[in-house]
Amino acid sequence: MAKEMRIEGRELLRKSSVYLILILLLLTFSILSPRFLTASNLINVLLQTSIVAMLAIGQTVVMLTAGIDLSVGMVGILCGAIAAGLATGYGFGLNLGTVPAFLLTLILGSVIGGVSGLLIVFGNLPPFVATLAMMAVARGLTLVFTQGKPIAGLPEDFVFVGSGSVLGIPFPVILLFVAVVLAYLLLARTAFGLHIYAIGGNKEMARLAGVNVRRVELGAYIISGLTAAFAGLILTGRLASAQPNVGAELNLESIAACVLGGTSLFGGTGNVLKTIVGALIMGTLANGMNLLGIPSYPQLVIKGLVFIAAVTLDILSTRKRA
Amino acid sequence: MAEEKKITTDEILLEMKGISKSFPGVQALKNVDFVLRRGEIHGLVGENGAGKTTLMRILTGVLPKDSGTIILKGKPVHIENPRHAQLLGISVIHQELSVLPNLTVGQNIMLGREPRSFLPFLVDWKKLYRASLEHLQRLNVDIDPRTPISELSVAQRQMVEIARALSFKADIIVMDEPTSALTEKEIESLFSLMRSLREQGISIIFISHKLEEIFSIVDRVTVLRDGALVGSMPISEVKTEEVVKMMVGRELGEMFPKDSVPQKEVVLSVRNLKRGKELRGVSFDLRRGEILGLAGLVGSGRTFVARAIFGADPLEEGEILIEGKKVHIGSPQEAISLGIGFLPEDRKAQGLFLGLPLSHNIGITGLKRLSLFGVVIFRKLKELALNFVNKLRIRTPNISQLVRNLSGGTQQKVILARWLSLKPRILILDEPTRGIDVGAKAEIHAIMSELAKEGVAILMISSELPEVLGVSDRILVMHEGRIVGEFTREEATQDRIMLCATGGANNG
Amino acid sequence: MKKFLILALSLVLIGGLLASCAPSQPSPSPTTTSPSPTPTAKKITLGLVLSTLNNPFFVTLRDGAQAEANKLGVTLIVMDSQNDSAKEASNIEDLISRKVDAILVNPTDADAVVPSIKKANDAKIPVFTIDRGANGGVIVSHIASDNVAGGKMAGEYLAKALNGKGKVVELEGIAGTSAARDRGQGFNEVMKNYPDIQIVARQTADFDRAKGLSVFENILTAQPEINGVFAHNDEMVLGAIQAAEAAGRTGIIFVGFDAIDDAIKAVKDGKLAATVQQQPALMGQLGVQTAVDYLNGKTVEKYIPVPLKLITKENAP
Repeated sequence: MAKEMRIEGRELLRKSSVYLILILLLLTFSILSPRFLTASNLINVLLQTSIVAMLAIGQTVVMLTAGIDLSVGMVGILCGAIAAGLATGYGFGLNLGTVPAFLLTLILGSVIGGVSGLLIVFGNLPPFVATLAMMAVARGLTLVFTQGKPIAGLPEDFVFVGSGSVLGIPFPVILLFVAVVLAYLLLARTAFGLHIYAIGGNKEMARLAGVNVRRVELGAYIISGLTAAFAGLILTGRLASAQPNVGAELNLESIAACVLGGTSLFGGTGNVLKTIVGALIMGTLANGMNLLGIPSYPQLVIKGLVFIAAVTLDILSTRKRA
Repeated sequence: MAEEKKITTDEILLEMKGISKSFPGVQALKNVDFVLRRGEIHGLVGENGAGKTTLMRILTGVLPKDSGTIILKGKPVHIENPRHAQLLGISVIHQELSVLPNLTVGQNIMLGREPRSFLPFLVDWKKLYRASLEHLQRLNVDIDPRTPISELSVAQRQMVEIARALSFKADIIVMDEPTSALTEKEIESLFSLMRSLREQGISIIFISHKLEEIFSIVDRVTVLRDGALVGSMPISEVKTEEVVKMMVGRELGEMFPKDSVPQKEVVLSVRNLKRGKELRGVSFDLRRGEILGLAGLVGSGRTFVARAIFGADPLEEGEILIEGKKVHIGSPQEAISLGIGFLPEDRKAQGLFLGLPLSHNIGITGLKRLSLFGVVIFRKLKELALNFVNKLRIRTPNISQLVRNLSGGTQQKVILARWLSLKPRILILDEPTRGIDVGAKAEIHAIMSELAKEGVAILMISSELPEVLGVSDRILVMHEGRIVGEFTREEATQDRIMLCATGGANNG
Repeated sequence: MKKFLILALSLVLIGGLLASCAPSQPSPSPTTTSPSPTPTAKKITLGLVLSTLNNPFFVTLRDGAQAEANKLGVTLIVMDSQNDSAKEASNIEDLISRKVDAILVNPTDADAVVPSIKKANDAKIPVFTIDRGANGGVIVSHIASDNVAGGKMAGEYLAKALNGKGKVVELEGIAGTSAARDRGQGFNEVMKNYPDIQIVARQTADFDRAKGLSVFENILTAQPEINGVFAHNDEMVLGAIQAAEAAGRTGIIFVGFDAIDDAIKAVKDGKLAATVQQQPALMGQLGVQTAVDYLNGKTVEKYIPVPLKLITKENAP
């Protein structure tokens, strides 16, 4: 009887450890700071998390196939810069307006993801190598295109994507919500999603079962490129300018969000909702510590410790199930 | 029922004719014929390396055949790949289970053929689970298709695999050692499932090392030896001993020179080693200058004995004595410091550093003795390597050759040299001549014999019975984690060892 | 069970860290006996967002601001944007959430900071910029070094050292930057007063040491006689000194700007005559002072120049 309860407890813990950590963080900060638990601050947290969370959606899809995409941050920055160029007439010398600029940029992001995917699927490059190279290429292209300088003077509607809000909810948060719903449905309801999990479980077996492994893997990287482009547009809109030198940590933060959310680095397990919660844990932590006025140096230490604690917990709660 | 069976078993479902297959240096299959009738359970037996697995891999499209024809339901077919085999109704239940643990039962059964809903990219989950439930019910298996595989036992996972095979409308199911990971009770239910499949007109090719299982379930048995067909007959027409004779029946050559070495004092004693299902109480003594052969089928626990002595796996129970003193061996380092050397089974994965030169591979475990204040003295390393290259007649252009570029037999000598450089008292060799050519084999045997003469105690694990018989002073036979037989060199015969190893006798 | 324990332990640990790192919450004591010359009814909280704390300049700026805040009895929250505009936006949003009384920002980029400043404007929180300006939003006051005065200071020093006559070279910074413009303007205004000083060359070297070296090499070839050099920053002047040394030209008086470590060392070694030092501590101090003045209802100037300091061998730190 007691044993059964213990097993159920473990089961519950295993399934909800990431939610538990978020709730504990929310509680801790609510107690420590009176300003924390206000609608405007919570919306702030969502807004601040939206960019990393958007990247992490694509990253989750890729990681589920036992891959990794190290290029997401830089691809996002590149897409933001290209979109800013297309919307202001910088660089290309033609001003397309915001909407066509966005569409072209989203296509560009998908194509870059697709190129990584092709290198991995047909070139047999390890994902780590292919996307690391793509990261360098994207960063280089950004610097070439912008000459290392910010592109400002964006049209109002462009800025709205990152800074505007509808009914008090920031537009990036709305975008993120839509993306999460779509990604969730994609992974949970479609054959493509099921095949993503199957490939992550065991690529060879998925192949033998008749899954078109190459096509599905390619699709995963295209999705990652697409979400990276979205994140880049949000970031650019949020700063009302394309900044070539931001985003150094976005790659790692997107991976960290996935890992915090329990996505296995070896593929096959994880889901988008938990990834978003993982991103929220990091966002909440940063926001809460700012509100408490903790200096920035110890903030890094605490971030690292929370990360270790969360991942350790996840490993411990899943280990004995083999 | 019996009458029904009689009618169905006359129809020939599959005929493989004159199948040959060779790998570099090995003729794996020589002109093999195989006939499978509808609704029969057909046992396929033979020693390790007899060609059973190769034959089945050709049937299931994993390997292409060199020559021969496959006739399925009266029509010649060319099986291109595993997927094609499945579509033709040939499915395989692997020795290592192949279901995806991160998916549910239903998802596994229908993977790759998910029913779609009104939109072509959406999966109709209701339909998927209903269909998979039907397949499970056909097997009388009570598993909820929504259960994640990770929550199932090994036996249940196997049922899911069989359900998956049936969902392809398979009429031939190949089961490669399906019982190796099952408990007695689970085996019983697997057998009753197999019988019910037979009644549904499905043919099963059953590969097993355990002859008692063969005799309790199959209708016919086909025996392969050294890649050739030895015989195929209804099980009712043969006895266990005859099958064993057919499996091993080759003459012993003179390729195993063995000078008898006088038996001396006991160097190593193990008492009642226990570890899960792998070791269920193993005890024996190893004497100075002795070559002790450890025979048994793959999976009987031989390697675990070696790993336990070497400190690679923790023991649950039991003790190890070296020269009469009780020792605790918690790690390979401790084993090495006690003078134990271990040549593992999988050279490439466990023993060799393929990207390093030969000299480094030899010197790596004894670096301390080759270095001064932590700095390796390369002159010493070179001397050591050259010494062994001469002593063991290692064929290499030079000692800085990368090990990756050496032949299998030479690689084996390199590992042997590594251990010999430590001057071990006890040497454990796991499959020391697997995959190497006949000439190199004889050389390795000669080296072993030489070492024994110098007083080294050798424990040799081998799946090749002629080797065990030719080289060993004494032979132990393992079966299911226990030592079930002990023979002196004079007593031992292939038949007796095989009978013990397949669980067909209690002692020799 | 063990997992629960580990979870609990790690969270306790984190909680503890959070608590210990949090500044000791000022008890809302009404008996404020601070020596503040400006009596405050309610304790003022200021937010200071710095572009980076990986640069000693900004660390010193922070220290100056903190000292002033302590003196005036106000709370100062310092945030580090790590040169990342996105982080800066989050930092300012968090300060708005905290409802600080005023925000002092040292922007990472003049454009990227604009949306955040507008948010603060919407929340009716006054914003002050420090060192670097912003291209939009409502700014109460901009607190920055007086580069024009710095240029004058350098010019006066050079003129005196040359006894009011000689041939002088000016190495300019990146064209169009405010620093280059203002420093050049101040310098040239002074030079006008010395008719015997002739500016024989005026070229840009983009604030870069390597360019300073190659540009000055060319000038050395073209000009047989050079008595003084003013460069808009130390990097360029150090490059020029290297070029002069390599060419074996002596007797040139070099004056730089910024007082970077290399330059101070060169001053001590006698290679560089002088360099103009910004005063980040004073900048921080003036920033806090201006914000508090404004919150106490005083009118403040749109631009608060921060004086500079000339470093020579006599006063080199």
